[in-house]
Amino acid sequence: MKRYGEHRIPGRLFIVEGIDGSGKSTQLMLLHQWLKAEGYGVVFSEWNSSPLVKDTTKRGKKKQLLTPATFSLIHATDFADRTERNIIPLLKAGAVVLCDRYIYTAFARDASRGMDPAWLRELYAFAVKPTIAYYFRVPLEVALKRINDGRAGFKFYEAGMDLGLSSDPDESFRLFQARILDEYEKMVPEFGMTVIDATLPIEAQQQQMRQLVVAKLTQARQLRVTP
Amino acid sequence: MKETYGAMLPDELLDDLVGKLIVIEGTDGVGRSTQIHLLKEWLEQQGHAVLDTGLSRSGLVGKSIKRAKEGHTLGRITLSLFYTTDFADRLENEIIPALRAGFVVLTDRYIYSLIARAMVRGLDPAWVRNIHRFALKPDAIFYLRIGVDELIPRVVFTRGFDYWESGMDFYSTEDMYDSFRRYQTALLERFDQLAEEFQFQVIDARREPRVIFEQLREGILRVLTNRAGVETARAAVAAPPGTSAVHAIVPLPAPAPAGEKDEPVTVPDSEDSAEDHRKRASRTR
Repeated sequence: MKRYGEHRIPGRLFIVEGIDGSGKSTQLMLLHQWLKAEGYGVVFSEWNSSPLVKDTTKRGKKKQLLTPATFSLIHATDFADRTERNIIPLLKAGAVVLCDRYIYTAFARDASRGMDPAWLRELYAFAVKPTIAYYFRVPLEVALKRINDGRAGFKFYEAGMDLGLSSDPDESFRLFQARILDEYEKMVPEFGMTVIDATLPIEAQQQQMRQLVVAKLTQARQLRVTP
Repeated sequence: MKETYGAMLPDELLDDLVGKLIVIEGTDGVGRSTQIHLLKEWLEQQGHAVLDTGLSRSGLVGKSIKRAKEGHTLGRITLSLFYTTDFADRLENEIIPALRAGFVVLTDRYIYSLIARAMVRGLDPAWVRNIHRFALKPDAIFYLRIGVDELIPRVVFTRGFDYWESGMDFYSTEDMYDSFRRYQTALLERFDQLAEEFQFQVIDARREPRVIFEQLREGILRVLTNRAGVETARAAVAAPPGTSAVHAIVPLPAPAPAGEKDEPVTVPDSEDSAEDHRKRASRTR
């Protein structure tokens, strides 16, 4: 078992992190389109996790069977499945792999639920260290406004309702996101995350992302797929 | 006062866990379930409320693990974490509440089996230990120890080799017998290592079930009646693993409970099929 940072595999792994409403998924989608057009063998990791793990997670959430510990462990199981069956083989084959959210989401979310941060880092020690981990930094109010424009109604665990922060789902979500934001900020120096100012225009953010990606790909020409 | 192996769960309170946590460890086919069945009956006769639990019996993931193993679809890290999830679910939803209510909790295997298996499958030994640090330290760990040569006939003449207990998921080029032998040998080595590290009370599982039962009963009585006794037992078991240390310190009381004398040498003891055991065990009575 290789630990975080010990994998030596030819592919490239780019991941995006940030709270809901930070715009990270949009940015990753734009990056994906560009890499494809440039002729790279790029895979947007769809989290094709095994139906078994997925079903268990779904059931646990639906029936609200999960405690912070089992919430954390079942997601780690799911992530292990993606890592073993999807991410590592793809990277070995030399692909550019893109992930919307990665282990840092679990660190932020589970620590906000009271799990021991050191234990969480050990739990995910099998994860491949990303080539670049982008963090989309956005003030809570901006993110909340973007979400409120786009959707209605939070799910139980999504809003952190299991923590009993508030009986109002909207208020609970807000308090939970504030905690998660704090956790992300702590992780920026710890994991050397690349911060993108998510209040900038979409085009400007994408420009920054692409510049950094290019630098990592020029060292690996063999990743290019001949059209 | 109970404690964990170092990691606390959120808002976890341990000072009101007045029950006793007793672990029965041992490899496949060694007779754990038979003993747990006998112990439960005996403890209940003594007036103790008993919870018996074991691997992959959680409401959250127990069934999924069984299905996963039928399909052989999970990677080794994934399978290992699936078991840990199952364990956490049972710890929080069964074991801790039962201990709080003053039960004697008898568990058929504990984190040590998970650690041993994961190590044999090549996972990082430090990692496997660390992820289980939220587990409660048991009041006693009894390890039913057997050699691979004694184990094989029991398995062959009862239920045959099991795919997973033969390590066929990673020794796939060999036949079941070779694979079983190699896997169980590796597993027993790990267990011997863990016996020292976690202070198991080692019991010679080659002996008759009745004798083993007497020894377990003695050990458990000590846990129930005398806290200091546990420490003594642990100190005594610091002897090298495999030397039947428990024999030396546990005076055997005479008679076995009536009706148990003709208990067969082993009740087939396949991994994770506690219900089968109970059925078989009740048939033999």
